[in-house]
Amino acid sequence: MTRLQIILVRLALLALVLAAWEMLPRLGAVNPLLLPPLSQVLEMLGQLLVRPTVQEAVAITAAEVIVAFVVAVPLGAAAGIAIAESEYLGEVFKPMLFYVFSVPKSIFLPMFILVFGIGFQQKVAYAAFTTSFVVLMSATAAVESVRADHIMVARSYGATSAQILLRVYVPSMLPILLETLRISMIFNFTRVMIAEMYASRTGIGHLIANWGENFQMPQLFAGVIVLAAVAILFNESVRALEARCSTWRT
Amino acid sequence: MQHVANLKDARSRADAPAIEVERLSHVYAGPDGGVPALTDISMSVNAGRFVVIVGPSGCGKTSLLMMMAGLRRQTEGAILCHGRPIPDPDPERVGVIFQEASLFPWLTTLNNIEFPLSLRGTPREERRRRSEAMLTLVGLVGFGERYPHELSGGMKQRVSIARGLVQDPPVLLMDEPFAALDEQTRMTMGHELLRIWSTTKKTVVFVTHSLTEAVYLADEVLVMSARPGRIIDHIEVTLPRPRTYEMMATDVFGRLRDRIWQQIRRSA
Repeated sequence: MTRLQIILVRLALLALVLAAWEMLPRLGAVNPLLLPPLSQVLEMLGQLLVRPTVQEAVAITAAEVIVAFVVAVPLGAAAGIAIAESEYLGEVFKPMLFYVFSVPKSIFLPMFILVFGIGFQQKVAYAAFTTSFVVLMSATAAVESVRADHIMVARSYGATSAQILLRVYVPSMLPILLETLRISMIFNFTRVMIAEMYASRTGIGHLIANWGENFQMPQLFAGVIVLAAVAILFNESVRALEARCSTWRT
Repeated sequence: MQHVANLKDARSRADAPAIEVERLSHVYAGPDGGVPALTDISMSVNAGRFVVIVGPSGCGKTSLLMMMAGLRRQTEGAILCHGRPIPDPDPERVGVIFQEASLFPWLTTLNNIEFPLSLRGTPREERRRRSEAMLTLVGLVGFGERYPHELSGGMKQRVSIARGLVQDPPVLLMDEPFAALDEQTRMTMGHELLRIWSTTKKTVVFVTHSLTEAVYLADEVLVMSARPGRIIDHIEVTLPRPRTYEMMATDVFGRLRDRIWQQIRRSA
């Protein structure tokens, strides 16, 4: 199959799904109250996007996602690298961290509400807390992926510690670290959503939860489309970065 | 007097052996006072010679080589490289080739070869010129822009040899460089190495556990015993150069190979 054929098949599939979304509720095959036709949802989307409350909600959610990510990644990476590099820290903390990692982090959400109240800080703190675990675990794996023989080679050519760090550690770890960025972004976004849907006054998650409870299905689906668009935008940004940084693959 | 002493010192350095090991012993730290790994090793490698150290697995031959490279410290004794100790790696004096080619997968062939030069900030054009000369030397013209995963095992080891030679060190230390290759590639690479050696006139210390490889490559073979490693035999290989594959079928070759094997078997 050529590239063009693949793209055509993809577009055809997409058209099929969208057509079904439009036609099935209209033909009465599914309840239009549960699944409003696509045209109705798009119309609602147009109306929602110009509403200041919705614009504000999108901006706040995006800000929460970005701030939590910016806090979690360096924190998790530093902790992960420290644990992987220092035998002592590894011995002490590794088992504990693995146990805590296995516990669903959602159960800590009420504690974050108690400590931070309901608001921006609480969303960011909760998302950053859970995301930094994902980053930490992957950063540990990234350090462990640095091959001892590569370090030995660099040493035999007289590399200094700084040169070993920059020219062996960083490029060795890069593929895993970039992959980590992408996966942790997905986690991070999910955590912000959970926090918003659980207890919040604004944000897309909050709006979607509200619309759902009030049985406003066109709004709900329009909200899902906005959310999906934002999530894909974040994911693709990280992926573009990843593609630029890794010209080699083994 | 001082003046004369310095002169004498300088002269002795100029014709000092490429590698001298004096009464070297090594003990691995352990709970019961440690495990002796190498015992009372003394040896001397003259400049331009191809010396092979052969011995059973775990006899400490790789450790000994790493100590010559300044990558590991011995417990006792001294190692001199051209008359001076080598406490730390010094790529100007000694190049090391490892068992695995250990190329950096994120660098192209040329950039891998240039790696040692880039560590010392050699200008870009000079780096390119020297790495391309090395590429020609090891017979990989046209593969400069390939990444390691696009090369075969033998080609990777050629790149690794080029990387070891790029700073033009007088001594090349090789730690079972062909052990991970298949038999046929290994034979070809041995032959290639002899060609490179005769063009560059380096001193080579080559560690292996293959008896055939030892006899085929060496001017001199040092045989080591099982742990704790000692040097139990020193054999001059009298076969003429250039070596050919046909020599492997000769009586002389067979006798040398057998002598090494008998020594190793007796020591185990």
